Amino acid sequence: MGPEKGARLRGLALVLPALLLVAAFLLAPLALVVRYSLDVYDPASLMKGVFSAENYVKLVSDPFYLRVLVFTGEIAALSTAICLVLGYPVAYFISRSTSEKLRSFLIIITVLPLLMGNAVRAAAWMVIMGTKGLANAMMLGAGVIDEPLKILYTPTAVVIGLVSVLLPFTIITLQSVLDAIPGSLEEAGRSLGFSPLHTMFSVVMPLSVPGMLAAGAICFCLAMNAYATPVLIGGPSVHMMGPLVYQQISKVTNWPFGSALACVLMAVTLTMTVISTTILSRRYF
Amino acid sequence: MKRRQFIGAGLAVAGAGVLGARSAFAQGKEIVVSNWGGDWNDRTVKYIEQPLLESKGWKIVRDLNTAPQRRTKILAEKNLPRGTLDVAHVPISDAYLLNTNGAVDVIDFGKIPNGSDLVPAIKLPYFVPWLYSTWEIVYNPNYIKTPPTSLAELWNPKYKDKVGVTNQHYEDYMQMASLLATGKLHDLDAAKKKLLELKQVNHPKVYESHQQIAAGFKGEEIWIACNYRARGLQFAKDGVPVAVSFPKEGAALQTFGVVMPKRATHKAEAYEYFNALLDPKQLAELCQANFYSPASNKVQLTGDIGQKILHTPEQKAKLQSPDFGFLAANTAGMLEWWNKSFV
Repeated sequence: MGPEKGARLRGLALVLPALLLVAAFLLAPLALVVRYSLDVYDPASLMKGVFSAENYVKLVSDPFYLRVLVFTGEIAALSTAICLVLGYPVAYFISRSTSEKLRSFLIIITVLPLLMGNAVRAAAWMVIMGTKGLANAMMLGAGVIDEPLKILYTPTAVVIGLVSVLLPFTIITLQSVLDAIPGSLEEAGRSLGFSPLHTMFSVVMPLSVPGMLAAGAICFCLAMNAYATPVLIGGPSVHMMGPLVYQQISKVTNWPFGSALACVLMAVTLTMTVISTTILSRRYF
Repeated sequence: MKRRQFIGAGLAVAGAGVLGARSAFAQGKEIVVSNWGGDWNDRTVKYIEQPLLESKGWKIVRDLNTAPQRRTKILAEKNLPRGTLDVAHVPISDAYLLNTNGAVDVIDFGKIPNGSDLVPAIKLPYFVPWLYSTWEIVYNPNYIKTPPTSLAELWNPKYKDKVGVTNQHYEDYMQMASLLATGKLHDLDAAKKKLLELKQVNHPKVYESHQQIAAGFKGEEIWIACNYRARGLQFAKDGVPVAVSFPKEGAALQTFGVVMPKRATHKAEAYEYFNALLDPKQLAELCQANFYSPASNKVQLTGDIGQKILHTPEQKAKLQSPDFGFLAANTAGMLEWWNKSFV
């Protein structure tokens, strides 16, 4: 056995306990969810203990559930795009701050909303976006509108809520990648006659694509699986997958169909994340 | 001190600490109670748990969540050697479902002296009834001067865009629509037809929960809805401009109470807890605060507040108890229809 092989084996032995823990506490429950999704709901005994594709057939053949899945994907994609557009300049500004104090202050300000629960933030948005909320009161007071706008309990409200939840993740992820891009490269660009904007688009942004992919993947996954924001800000008529899974599992105790919804949600999220990152990686590397 | 003596002394101190802690623990009783949060739990603590149990050294560990979460937890734990809950507050329909799935114990009512005179219609072998109310009309008297006497008022076109419904009560609304259409609670086809008519005529606003529909009344977004009599009276007490009216078609009963999960570990304490819940004096005070009717006939409610809470003999004759087997078998389909076609 060569020294390299021995080192690999030692490494594997060190990683093995963690792998076993992950297998036991993550994969085993997931396997259980997959198994439940192949069972059939029975009001008297919860599940019949059979193997059936009934739940998946119902899911793909019912336009309502397909529409909810597509709508969830659209909301998640839109929220992710907005987070990247809004988060990039902020992350760049933090990354290029020369004052350590200012930099630390900005990072703390960015991270601060994460210290509050999603539900608390959603409640604050409800106060702001209600018919008699702060936003409408200000617009009415300024004479911008004559009648209160319906913002709360609409898809727009869900996107606003999700962006507020996801923006800190985007900024922090992008900032760490931008930190790794030396400022000297931008100076080199400018010394070749590039404008600051040209330098940004030709030098900085291509180099920060891995960070954008990582931030986008995090945002997209979190938005696809969001629960508190769609329930509290979207209201009963905005249907998204997370609340739908909860309804089936908890409200009506239909564990098999709820599990099938959860499996499809996981599969779609994973597939879309992998496909988008693969395509973008090939485009830029 | 040598190393061996030092370790020995350390172990002795640690052992004494553990024994001391155990002996202190043995002095009081401990129980894990799962309940709704918010004002429901606050009142349970204020009128029952604190004065009758915690003041005597009991340690009550509270697991606060929604009824569906609680039900799911009990079902998930039914095959474990030990569960995490000793007592669970549930609506009566959840108790039925839990019992059908073998997740709760049959209650020995002989161990609950305060439960010797419970309202028979809402007592089940596996469920200790505690409080009940009825699904009635809640309206804003500033805009609706004549108290509505029929559920049909919600369909009155003059209340277009002023009718509210709560998403979490889809079963109650479907029962109410069925009652109006057929005089019975569970004609789903008639209920669906009636609710679609409501949607078309009056464009009801859908709120998620009690708190949100109360805000809707307060902000005058809506003038009329249905809710439990108790909730309507609570809203009024909290300054929301509403009054409650009993519909001539009758009203569905909603009962809340407690069950003992099969895997509970403190069963003797659970029985003492049940007995405390039904303490006549404390339960009377609680009912005066939350406007629910007590499930025990031993509780005396008098005066103006008793008149508001309790049902007249004529109203009692029109109370309808849901068929829990029907609800358990159909709730998934009812929610699916509600999501797809009504909301």
